[in-house]
Amino acid sequence: MDFALSQKQKQIRQMVREFAKTELAPIAREIDEEGRFPWEVIEKMGSLNFFGMQAPKQYHGAEIDSISYCLVIEEISRVCAAMGLTIAVHNSVVVYPLSQFGSDEQKAKYLPPLAAGEKIGAFCLTEPNAGSDAMSIESTAIGEGDSYIVNANKIFVTNGGVADTLIIFTSVHPGDVKRGFSAILVERGTPGFEVGLLENNCGMRANPVSSIVLTDCQVPRANLLGQEGDGFKIAMTALDTGRIGIAAQAVGIGQGALDASLKYAKERIQFRVPLARHQAIQMMLADMGTMVEAARLLTLQAAYVKDQKGELSCSSAMAKLYAGRMASEVASMGVQIHGGYGYSKDYAIERYFRDARATEIYEGTNEIQQMVIARELLKREEE
Amino acid sequence: MPIGKRKQVRDLEIGMDIIVCIKQVIAGNQVKFDPHTHRLVRSVEFSRINPFDACALAMAVRLKKQYSGKITAITMGPEISEAVLWEALAIGANRGVLLTDSRFATSDTLATSYVLGMGVRKIGHYDLILCGMRTTDSGTAQVGPQLAEELDIPHVIGVERLEKREDLFLVERTCDEFRETLEVASPALFIVSSKVGMSTPSLIEIEETFARCKIERWNLEDLGGDPSKVGRDGSCTWVEELIPTTQQKFCAFIEGEPRQQAKSLLAKLLEKNLLS
Repeated sequence: MDFALSQKQKQIRQMVREFAKTELAPIAREIDEEGRFPWEVIEKMGSLNFFGMQAPKQYHGAEIDSISYCLVIEEISRVCAAMGLTIAVHNSVVVYPLSQFGSDEQKAKYLPPLAAGEKIGAFCLTEPNAGSDAMSIESTAIGEGDSYIVNANKIFVTNGGVADTLIIFTSVHPGDVKRGFSAILVERGTPGFEVGLLENNCGMRANPVSSIVLTDCQVPRANLLGQEGDGFKIAMTALDTGRIGIAAQAVGIGQGALDASLKYAKERIQFRVPLARHQAIQMMLADMGTMVEAARLLTLQAAYVKDQKGELSCSSAMAKLYAGRMASEVASMGVQIHGGYGYSKDYAIERYFRDARATEIYEGTNEIQQMVIARELLKREEE
Repeated sequence: MPIGKRKQVRDLEIGMDIIVCIKQVIAGNQVKFDPHTHRLVRSVEFSRINPFDACALAMAVRLKKQYSGKITAITMGPEISEAVLWEALAIGANRGVLLTDSRFATSDTLATSYVLGMGVRKIGHYDLILCGMRTTDSGTAQVGPQLAEELDIPHVIGVERLEKREDLFLVERTCDEFRETLEVASPALFIVSSKVGMSTPSLIEIEETFARCKIERWNLEDLGGDPSKVGRDGSCTWVEELIPTTQQKFCAFIEGEPRQQAKSLLAKLLEKNLLS
């Protein structure tokens, strides 16, 4: 068992850390406040291959290992969680399933611009009446000649406001979602495609989370990902991978909250000594550091399992469940250390506090992770 | 103005053989020192390429793109310095050479220049050597010029632009209020201005670097160096003591009406002789 990062992984982490410090740190607060998608750094992130981290080399991807992938997401999220979200979703639930299930033609057409960051991806599963219960989707794709006529109302779509290439989960057999659950690639600009209002979310505000409405949208049958009825398998494969990315994002948020708290605890004087000299504060810092490290180890272990092509569902669900809770708790302790200033927008800790909460909800709520984990544990016991 | 001897005349088509000297330093806010040995504590975790050397490397990468050629990154240091060579390779160096030997420890700038000189000679042919302005740790800015002396080649400090003209280099630097353009014979050593900026390697570049490259390690025997010219024996200066400096701030409030406050402030400043 070797816990050391390879020289290459360290190099990648250092490169991203520098990038985040010089390019994202100066704008993180402003883009959160303005709810603005920072196009000015997207191109740079594209040129550093952050949008095609694990895409195959032949499609201009970097094909880095999953540990390195987590390090990138963590370092970005440590400074700006909303941008961590943008690339985590783009890479893990769009580029990855496209690489795994796409036909050669689909890969050749869609992967290169996605990997370069020239086009941005989105994953559209959630609907007003279907979230954790994915099988309750109401959207439909009716085959008509060489096309599908797609009608869908998708909500809480991460990257939705800026996405060019979207994976829409829909049913090709209305009334029999179980048999008809399918994934279809839709491009922005297709007649009938409409970006709805941006969500006014509590955190991750620089990410243009929106609704996507498709009205009698004519999409070629060639855009079907996998076969008809493969949708659930595709969604679950994407989410198993995606959860590692979200866990890494939560680790980044936790680390960022810890960084901010350590800094503040050394600066702020109360009772004539820095906060850091008070044992009550030290205990919080110790718990925060321990929890961040535990979450990081679970996350990197899940990444390792993925690279070893092992049974991923349970590992990634455990990583996401623990890391998400950790991020919320650590950020909350961070606010506590900051006291009144922690409740003010003058300090970054309140942003971490808001951003952290989402990691317990998207790409499967804590409760869904618990279902996945329990199912796996009980299955094992039977063996 | 340093004017060199015309030692080598090479065809432009062959491109440039560039050597970049780099040093591993500790990231800005992570500098720690050992109170017993009075030396800096070097750790892999916070090791990074000296930012001034990163500028030299960035210029090398630009020159390689413009003229084609090859970049060799060279550093002297302990094993953990390997990390900065990987960084250099990822940014665009073709070859990484680590000069490492326990006998090199405690070398001052003179002994360091000697070791680097041996390394450069072992590399063999080169058109130019690029160095950073100084380091962020010791910051003497001596190694570059001393290396040029060691190799008996011309050097220019603070180069912002560089062009090749047949067997000459045309270099530009800002000197006081003037822009100076110099013609320098090849081979030469240039100390690159930090105005040049740095470049960041992409994930694909890092991936390819690790798949393709390896680091070469040379010790004193490999270099055929003289043990009396390296380490403490080869140094003319020694660090006697290294203690962190502390800055203290005092804050005093001047009470009273504005007019009275101004008078009190003036009195205090005069008392401390700060207005003369």
